[in-house]
Amino acid sequence: MLDISAWFNDLLAGNTIFTADTLGYYWEGLVTTTQLVFLSLIAGLILAVPLAIMRSSKHKWISLPIYFYTYVFRGTPLLIQLYIIYYGVVFIDGIQDTFLWPVLREAFYPALIAFTLNTAAYTTEIFRGAIKATAQGEIEAARAYGMSQSLMMRRIILPSAFRRALPAYGNEVIFMLHASAIASVVTLMDLTGAARFVYARYYAPFEAFLFVAAIYLCLTFAILFFFRYLEKKLLAHLNS
Amino acid sequence: MAATPTPLEVRNIKKRFGDTEVLKGLSLQAQKGDVITLIGASGSGKSTFLRCMNLLEQPDDGDLIVHGEPIRFKTTKHGREPEDWKQVVQMRAKLSMVFQSFNLWAHMTLLENIIEAPIHVLKKPKKEALEHAHALLDRVGLSARANAYPAQMSGGQQQRGAIARALAMDPEVMLFDEPTSALDPELVGDVLKVMHGLAEEGRTMVVVTHEMSFARDVSSQVIYLHQGLVAEAGPPDQVLGNPQSPRLQQFLAPKY
Repeated sequence: MLDISAWFNDLLAGNTIFTADTLGYYWEGLVTTTQLVFLSLIAGLILAVPLAIMRSSKHKWISLPIYFYTYVFRGTPLLIQLYIIYYGVVFIDGIQDTFLWPVLREAFYPALIAFTLNTAAYTTEIFRGAIKATAQGEIEAARAYGMSQSLMMRRIILPSAFRRALPAYGNEVIFMLHASAIASVVTLMDLTGAARFVYARYYAPFEAFLFVAAIYLCLTFAILFFFRYLEKKLLAHLNS
Repeated sequence: MAATPTPLEVRNIKKRFGDTEVLKGLSLQAQKGDVITLIGASGSGKSTFLRCMNLLEQPDDGDLIVHGEPIRFKTTKHGREPEDWKQVVQMRAKLSMVFQSFNLWAHMTLLENIIEAPIHVLKKPKKEALEHAHALLDRVGLSARANAYPAQMSGGQQQRGAIARALAMDPEVMLFDEPTSALDPELVGDVLKVMHGLAEEGRTMVVVTHEMSFARDVSSQVIYLHQGLVAEAGPPDQVLGNPQSPRLQQFLAPKY
């Protein structure tokens, strides 16, 4: 252990910007970004499944409110949504006396909420499109074989729709990773926040931002790789 | 000995789409082991009639009795619909359908397609469903394709797979909706051979088809539909061998 840190310090010796200190900031930024993106994607995904089913309902009074939600969240900038939630919650009467306040006071949770609601809106529409594209004949076969509405949804429509949605959802994940950079404007020390800090300290824009861009590239590459693997596994049925 | 209930009986089925009345009161009774073929020009209502039998289409009027049990209907502001969808679901599990365009579930392998409804609808144990599925695959000559996805199989293989899926339900009656119409001519034979075999072992079948040789060789009854009505019905020798109406004579005449 000692050997490694000694080796690392040797490596950094003579480098004024990328010291163990600043790399520590980047590392913490990476952890924050990963947590933020991962948690909001998971929560967004969990929200999007029932929302997409409701959005696909033929009853207007079920589908319209969901459409309104996705329309508003896809129709306004994520940054504005983040501002409204981060700066806005303070003004909700009595919020500072509730158990939620210690959570909402931190920048992380308002950002998590904004990102979750945003990605849930996009994911809902991706899933809705995929659900709508289910082959009519397969639905008819499910009905003809005695499947109830819920069984058909669970066994036929959703499994086939999720597979169809995979490539579009992969893009949404990458989009969320890049969109997460705006979390730094509400004081969150994510990857971009760390880069801004290093830039401000050393006045070295290229070093600070090119380095962080490279980290985003690596993350994007990892996501692409993961989705390519999933597609290969789950979309085998489309390759004749 | 108690009489076994009639597997499928439909009485006076009527159906309209908008202003067009497509079925004007059609009846049919399938006793155990019957093979009833429905023939007629396109637009005569034969497919719609078949789809009314498992309520993929809702008839506007008429009775449907499956295995002695009448399906209950109610009238709402949207029209006539089944009173109890649970009853419909149970009824459908007794009638399995083979479609013109196969309609296998594309995200499942052939084997998964076959065991899906037995496990999740009939609640069969998986092991039993798998054994049955392998026997059925063997029977339709597709053992080697058990793990193929529908998109990887030819039309004829898909349709034989769809027949295996239908058989896996141990259906009371099998409904065939133009099972060979979407197939290349050289693939039709394999599917018809499987259907021949089913008729021989005494399966009750209702078949909408354009294959006159199949109707002649296999059916116990042929029903010729014209404009939503039964124009002629009876044993194949009579209906196909000695057609009474000029219209049926013309329908059966060689086209070229």
